[in-house]
Amino acid sequence: MENNAPVLEVINLHTYYGNIHALKGITLSVHKGEIVTLIGANGAGKTTTLKTICGLLKPRLGEVYHEGRMINVLKAHEIVSLGISMVPEGRGIFSRLTVLENLDLGAYIRTDRVAINEDLDRVFSLFPRLKERQKQVAGTLSGGEQQMLAIGRALMARPQILLMDEPSMGLAPILVESIFETIKTINQEGVTVLLVEQNALMALSIANRGYVLQTGQIVLQDTAANLQINEMVQKAYLGME
Amino acid sequence: MGDNIRAGLISGIAFGVIIIITSLIGFFGTVSALLGEFLFDPKTQPAALYSLVLILALLGLWAGIRAAKPVGTDRWSGALVSGAVAGLSTGLFVGIYTLIIGGFNARGLDIRGYLAQMSPDAIRFLLFQLPPATAALSYFLLFTTTGLAGGFLAKTLGRGRLKKANQQLKSKITELWESTSVAVWLSKFPYTQYIVYGAIIILALLLPISLGQYWNFTLGTVGVYVLMGLGINIVVGMAGLLDLGYVAFFAVGAYTVGLLTSPQQLSQFQIDFWPAAFLAIVIAAITGIILGFPVLRLRGDYLAIVTLGFGEIIRILVRSDLLSDFTGGPQGVRQIDGPSLFGISLTNDRAYLYMIILAIMLAIFVTIRFKDSRVGRAWVAMREDETVSQAMGINTYTTKLLAFAVGAAFAGLGGVLFASRNQYIGPEDANLLVSINVLAVVIVGGMGSIPGVFLGAFVLKGLPEIMRQLQDYRILAFGALLVVMMIVRPEGLWPSQRRRLEMHEEELPLEELEETEAIGALEAALEESTK
Ligand SMILES: Nc1ncnc2c1ncn2[C@@H]1O[C@H](COP(=O)(O)OP(=O)(O)O)[C@@H](O)[C@H]1O
Ligand SMILES: [Mg+2]
Repeated sequence: MENNAPVLEVINLHTYYGNIHALKGITLSVHKGEIVTLIGANGAGKTTTLKTICGLLKPRLGEVYHEGRMINVLKAHEIVSLGISMVPEGRGIFSRLTVLENLDLGAYIRTDRVAINEDLDRVFSLFPRLKERQKQVAGTLSGGEQQMLAIGRALMARPQILLMDEPSMGLAPILVESIFETIKTINQEGVTVLLVEQNALMALSIANRGYVLQTGQIVLQDTAANLQINEMVQKAYLGME
Repeated sequence: MGDNIRAGLISGIAFGVIIIITSLIGFFGTVSALLGEFLFDPKTQPAALYSLVLILALLGLWAGIRAAKPVGTDRWSGALVSGAVAGLSTGLFVGIYTLIIGGFNARGLDIRGYLAQMSPDAIRFLLFQLPPATAALSYFLLFTTTGLAGGFLAKTLGRGRLKKANQQLKSKITELWESTSVAVWLSKFPYTQYIVYGAIIILALLLPISLGQYWNFTLGTVGVYVLMGLGINIVVGMAGLLDLGYVAFFAVGAYTVGLLTSPQQLSQFQIDFWPAAFLAIVIAAITGIILGFPVLRLRGDYLAIVTLGFGEIIRILVRSDLLSDFTGGPQGVRQIDGPSLFGISLTNDRAYLYMIILAIMLAIFVTIRFKDSRVGRAWVAMREDETVSQAMGINTYTTKLLAFAVGAAFAGLGGVLFASRNQYIGPEDANLLVSINVLAVVIVGGMGSIPGVFLGAFVLKGLPEIMRQLQDYRILAFGALLVVMMIVRPEGLWPSQRRRLEMHEEELPLEELEETEAIGALEAALEESTK
């Protein structure tokens, strides 16, 4: 029974920007070890959903549960400590700090120096490029490297759940593929992933399940395999007629 | 060509403004007189006048070089156009200015009421003892030719041999330095930097004994600004919170120690200096937190405006009739007590300078400890991107409050030392200008840099004290200096490494950036081919 309980559960979430009703009752769940993807067009509310989960926005209605504990009342920094890390939209790296300083800030909530160094090695083995450039100012990295840094930084918190907001954005197709390979690797190493994407094709190819978001509402949910062959999804998001 | 003209104009305007403002505060008169005695034989020649022309010519040359250096050095025409435009525009500005001041003289108007240095004699001196129109034309020609010469110089010195020679010289010097036994020994010795620090500390401690009373007092004033500069460096430079009401904490520190030690106000509640000073610092820090609370959610410009308001509120409060029983209203608090140790009174300027130096050392120690700590990293992250830093688990509320509290404690300490040294604190010691002065100290010195604070405080508080004439027009000089700084050296005189990177982002890592992109593309291609 315990295995079936979701590690992250969002129930009837309503989030507003002033009086703009951005999320109109989102319900979704993520189980341990899964990759769940949230796909949808620009402006559908994907970023808003992630920001509400990690506490950067407060819902007006609805709840977020982590392992059965209501977390939507917590502050963003407290939620990070629960093991929920975010790779923000547009990477959100600290562009004037060095690669190493960025990674160090990823581990801000931790004090176990030895384990932090282990994780740093792990990030460097996942992204050797970052190791070469650890002293470099992050703003001078290429787009792909910045995305690696954003992911690496989130991993430095040793998260249980990784929320990723459009990691493929603005990257050359070949780099997108390698980033998604890495996401799979990270997941296999035991991190649960909630992946937000506009690139539905790629997202569904690595996900277990998916939700389709449209103007603040979930309009479809299924296994990734089923979504890939769903007519509506194919038309709207996979560019197939 | 457009770039060349633009560079010339920018340089010309900057130099024109500098020259006009520095002349208004009597800079050229003073410096020419000094230089004249030094360089020329004062009896046989109009020494000061020669010096004036020399200084102006050098400035014109500099304007031309500055204009030509960044853009036009690959082509002769470009460099010359930049230099000429810089000279022309400087000449035009200063020429018009001489016409105006010459006009005042011709009409017999005395403008000393507004600008104390601009006596008719001083103006005639600035006009080279010539009629205004001739003088204006001379200025125009002087700057145009020197600007052009500057462009020429930039071209000859810029890219080619001289730059290379310069680099060679530099590497030779490093080689020589590294090969000398002392250097080798020093670099092998792990404690070199501690020895250097130790030497600086010993020198600093010897300073007050070796100086007279005037210098002890002057350096004490500079020191109080260093102290406050270090504080605002944390708030603005590290945490990125633009606080324009910083003087409020200085005032709280000063008034607290005043109220607690002066027999004048709360006579039944008079305590010794040391506990009073301690209380004052604590209360200043608490005030920092209290004022921090309501502005936590504000960012950028709003924060600046609201904090500015706070600073003024404190000043108005201590001035007001409402509190005048405690604060003495406009009269301020008198007879503030000074410290004593083992029965020896420490109220002379030398003792105060010692205390100020010790306070600065303490502040530097605290700053360095914070810089390398978790909190320091959180401040920097918060300054970079507040939202993302929250997502990293940084509690931006407490982190901001801590920055306010630490900064306020430094200012409070500055206030304590200032008030007890002067044995007086009044509302006008706590006006908006103090905040602006302190901010100017760190901007001029270089935001976020500790040596920069010293340099800034010395340039802005020490120099005017030395050249008393400047005092009246400090504000004007500040304005000019700040404008010029923004143009010429936006990162400050002695910037921190980080700041240097930020400000010259577009210049410095460009090559690296290109390289990175190239490697990225290469890697992508490689991956493609291995598939
Ligand atoms: N800061 C904001 N202020 C007001 N409206 C916003 C803000 N951010 C997003 N929105 C609106 O909320 C809706 C959802 O946006 P978002 O979650 O960013 O979409 P997505 O990430 O799916 O592209 C959009 O209609 C957008 O215009
Ligand atoms: Mg988005």
